This record gives sequence, structure tokens and C-alpha cells, in this order.
Amino acid sequence: MIHAATFLLSLVGFPLLLLAMTRHQRDWLCRKLSPARCRSLRLSGFIALAMAFAVAGAGLGWGYGTVAWFGWLTIAASLVITVNTNRERIMPKVRP
Amino acid sequence: MMAGTAPLKTSFRQSMANLHTWTGLLPGWLLFIIFLFGTVAFFQQEISGWMRPELPTGPTSSAALKKAERHLAARAPDAASWNISLPSLRGGDPLMLSWEPREGGGGKAGKMTLDPAEGREVRLRDTMGGWFLYRFHFDLRYIPWWIARPLVSIAALAMLVAILSGIVIHKKIFADFFLLRFGKGQRSWLDAHNVTAVLALPFHLMITYTGLVTLLFTLMPWAISANFPNEDAFYKAAYPAGPTLEPSGKAMPLLPLRQLVDEAERTWGDAKPSFISIANPGDANALVGLYAGPAKLGSYRPPLWLNGATGTQVQPLPVAGGAFVTQRTMIELHAGRFSGPVLRWLYFLSGAGGTMMVASGLVLWTVKRRAKLPDPAQPHFGFRLVERLNIGVIAGAPAGIAVYFLANRLLPLDMANRADWEINSLFIAWGAVFVWTLARPVKRAWFEALAVCAALYALVPVVNALTTTRGLIPSLFARDWVFVGFDGAMLAMAAACAFTAWKVATHKAQALPRRKARVVAEAAL
Repeated sequence: MIHAATFLLSLVGFPLLLLAMTRHQRDWLCRKLSPARCRSLRLSGFIALAMAFAVAGAGLGWGYGTVAWFGWLTIAASLVITVNTNRERIMPKVRP
Repeated sequence: MMAGTAPLKTSFRQSMANLHTWTGLLPGWLLFIIFLFGTVAFFQQEISGWMRPELPTGPTSSAALKKAERHLAARAPDAASWNISLPSLRGGDPLMLSWEPREGGGGKAGKMTLDPAEGREVRLRDTMGGWFLYRFHFDLRYIPWWIARPLVSIAALAMLVAILSGIVIHKKIFADFFLLRFGKGQRSWLDAHNVTAVLALPFHLMITYTGLVTLLFTLMPWAISANFPNEDAFYKAAYPAGPTLEPSGKAMPLLPLRQLVDEAERTWGDAKPSFISIANPGDANALVGLYAGPAKLGSYRPPLWLNGATGTQVQPLPVAGGAFVTQRTMIELHAGRFSGPVLRWLYFLSGAGGTMMVASGLVLWTVKRRAKLPDPAQPHFGFRLVERLNIGVIAGAPAGIAVYFLANRLLPLDMANRADWEINSLFIAWGAVFVWTLARPVKRAWFEALAVCAALYALVPVVNALTTTRGLIPSLFARDWVFVGFDGAMLAMAAACAFTAWKVATHKAQALPRRKARVVAEAAL
């Protein structure tokens, strides 16, 4: 359960960080967001990752939890990158 | 001032880039092997379990302990010592008994292999199992360990330098964090190298640094030579041999093993014994040493010494010093034996990322230089060497591992030196792939070697189903997750190799720049 929560929070965090970047906003949202929006997206992304760390540490012990957190960050980021790399295949289905 | 600092900065980055290139390339193939076998070794016990299909999966039962006791008492009642090696909760190893005769007394030394679930004597096939894959990642093979370890140490040092210089030369570590663009030649290889490196960067740093710590005294023997007369004196001080008791001559029954094991588990709190030595069994001065198996991260459990007849502690548990505990913790972090199944998979996947990082870096070296070759049809020797080593190692080593698993199922069970021949099969297959690819054009060589890998990995579950009763489907019904996971991993590996082979086959070389194309065309005329 703790593993799942850590993973899901990381999986929330990375897309927020992705969308905080102008280049990816153009790709995914087809427009540029205001600097204030970017900042809040980035902040919430980092908060989600920090929450993942807190959940992993509190639930699994801080030593064990830290190792697991880094592992889940890697997995979550790889999934976000896989989706981002296949944007041209996914976008037409999401926004025809 | 500004004008002065700008070129300095570029040249610093440039020098770091050169450092990264050469510290990555020269030990690159050895690093690939270390990463590949080390990653596989996270599942050492599970692999051993699969390679000993006669052995049921599961921890040591109380019934098995009781039978072990009875076997020892019947076979070696007057022995000087008994040894019991207990498999971990992850299985993979049998319950092993051995005994040593008294000096001058009758009887012979002997050993027995029991299954840990029921305590029956089992005959296991002769295999090194996952242990070999683990040992190979730092002791190599066919060369003595005292040559292998310095080589591995130097490679690991180079790895650390390559990681740190890589961070310096990665210009857009955050801006390009999510970027992986395919179909763009050199750019794609750089992206792949960056992504596999950056995503698991904490893991790569940790595993390389703690790897160096495991080889601490190979790298820095002076800490020992400055403080101890010789190495043995150091190891005696760091890992004391424990107390000794002379036999009293008064017979007294040994306490039940279960009780001794429970006592150890109570004392340690969170570890289970992996090895028990009993000196003077059956005597009032029986001395029982219990050695802890893997425990929680950062909790080294020193051996416990009990009087086997009364169960009292013979000497109090020593308190380990700070430096010792720090070193142990780093080694635990490296080996990941403390981790549960989920974390072990995370270790494995991060390690797979590291393996791909090394491989993509090696390929990138050739991709980057191929475009700049004066004549791409006739590359110079250094380029061809790197290219051929890349194919032979990156595609050859995984093929060898698949053959190691196949040999475990196919070699005759009564073969002499069977365990050695399993290992030899690995290297014969690897060597064969290497030699074969040397004789083929580069693209065909990659494709054929990867296709062979795919076929070999796909064969493993098939051969397993044909030669044992623990194939994928029966294992699924039996909920035997070790066997299901192993066969599943083999199929996943086969799919990954087949996908890569298909990518190689359908890959079209990028159009050469016009000037280069003309030069080539003229050369061809």
C-alpha cells in the first residue's frame, strides 16, 4: 500500500513538472501558460514528490523508505517520458 | 574579466567531456558486464531456486530442523563439530548439514543436503546457481580474484569519474529531463544515454560509490598495513573468531535447534540465523555459534555464542564501532539483501537502467564518430575495435546468460564437474556469438546476435516446461511466484531482444551530408 501511494504521488508529481515547462505546454496544451501558472505547477509537482517521500519514509522507515522513494521516482519518471515520447500517437486520440 | 572567463568555462566543459568519453569507453565493456551481472544478481536467491527445481520453494520449517537434528545425532554422534547452513526466506539453497570428526577419534567428515520444507534428504543437481552470476560481477572468471578485483575496482573508479563528469557536461539536465526523441540518429542515442543516466542518477551514484566501498581494501590496503602487522590480523580484529570451549567429558544433551534458533531471533530482534556451528555436540560444554542472515538496513547483527546444553550466552554481543557499521550499511545498500520483493524489483529495474546507460554510451561513441569518418566504408582500426567489442559484449553476454540457464536444464545430471560446465557453457556461447558477429557486416551482426538472444531467452521457459514439472502454467496454478516470475522475466527479455532486433532490421541509415555523400560516391567510382 505504501509502495502504491509513493508511486502514485510520484506519478502525479512528474506530469505537473512536465507541464510547468514551456516546451511541453506547447506540445500538450497547444498554448503557453503564464509564468504564475508555471510556477504553481512546478511547486505542486515538487510538493507531490515531497509527499511521496514523506509517505515512503513514514510508512516504510526513513532508510528503507528513501531507497524505495528513489526507485519509484525512477519508475514514475520513465513512464512519463514514455508517454511524452509517444505524444504523436496519443494526442490524436485525446484531442481529435 | 567576463571575456576572460567565457573561454575558460568552455574549455573546462570540453575537458570534462573528454574525460567522460575516455573514462566511459576504456573500461566500458567491463562496466557493462559488471552492471549486467550485478543487476541479475539482485535476484540471486530466486535464480538459485529456479536452477534447483528439485528443491521446494519456502523457508526452513520446524519439522526440517527436527529432522536435521536427528540426522546429525544418528550419523555423527561423536563429531567434534556440526555445521548447519540454513536457507534464507527467499529460498534457493538447501538445508545443509556437515560434520567434522574428533582428532584421533573414529568417524569421517561428511555432509548431507536436506530440503528445508520437510527435512528429507534430497539429491540436487550440481550447480552454482545465482551465486556464480553474483561472484562473476566482481571476481570475473578464469583469472585469479586478486587480478580481477583490482580491475573491477579501477573500472568502478572510472565509472564514478564518468558519472560526475557526465553531470558536468550535461548542459540541460533539467530542461531536457523528459526528452527522448526517436528517429534522429545521434541525437536519439544521446537522449537515450541521458535519460537512462539521469532518471536513475541517485541509484547510479549510490551503487557505484557503495560498490567501491565493498572493494575498499583492494583499493586502499594502506589503512590495514599502517595499523596491523598483516591482513589476517586485521580480519581477526574486525571479525573475531569467537570463543572456544574445551569438551568437559560430561555428556549432556544438546538443546533442540528450534529453541536455539528462537533464542537467536529474540536476541537479534529482526534477523534469522543463516549458519549455525556447534562444537562438542552432546557435551556439557557444547558451544553454539549462530550467524545472522540479512536483516534490516543498517543493523549489523554480530554472531551469537550460546552454550548448547544450557542455552546461556557464552560471551556478550560485541558492540560494533561507527566506521564498521557505516561500511556494513553501505555494503547492505549495495547488495540490497535487506529489501522486500517490491524494492528488489525497483533495484533490478534501476540496475537495468544502468546497464542500458553503459550500453547506449558505448554505442553513442561509434554513432558520433561514424559521421565524421573520412571513409565510412573503411573505418580505422580503433573504430572497428570499439564497434566489434560493442556487438560482442552487449549482445553476447546476455546470450551467454540465457545459455547458462539452458545448460542448467539440459546438461546430464550425472555429468562430472557439472556446475563448471554450466559456467563454461555461458562463456562458450558468448564466445561463439562474438566470433560469429566478427565475420558479419555490422548491421547484420547486431541483428543476428539480438535475434539469437531473443530465441535463447524464449527457449528457457519452453525447456523448463519440458524438463521439469515446474513449467510456467503448473507454477501459475501452484502460485509459485519465483518460477512464474523467472519464466516471465525470460519471456520479457526475449521480447525486448526481439524488439531491438526488429528495430535494427528496419533502421535506415540517415542520409549522409551532401559533401560526405559526394566523397563516398567518388570513392566508389
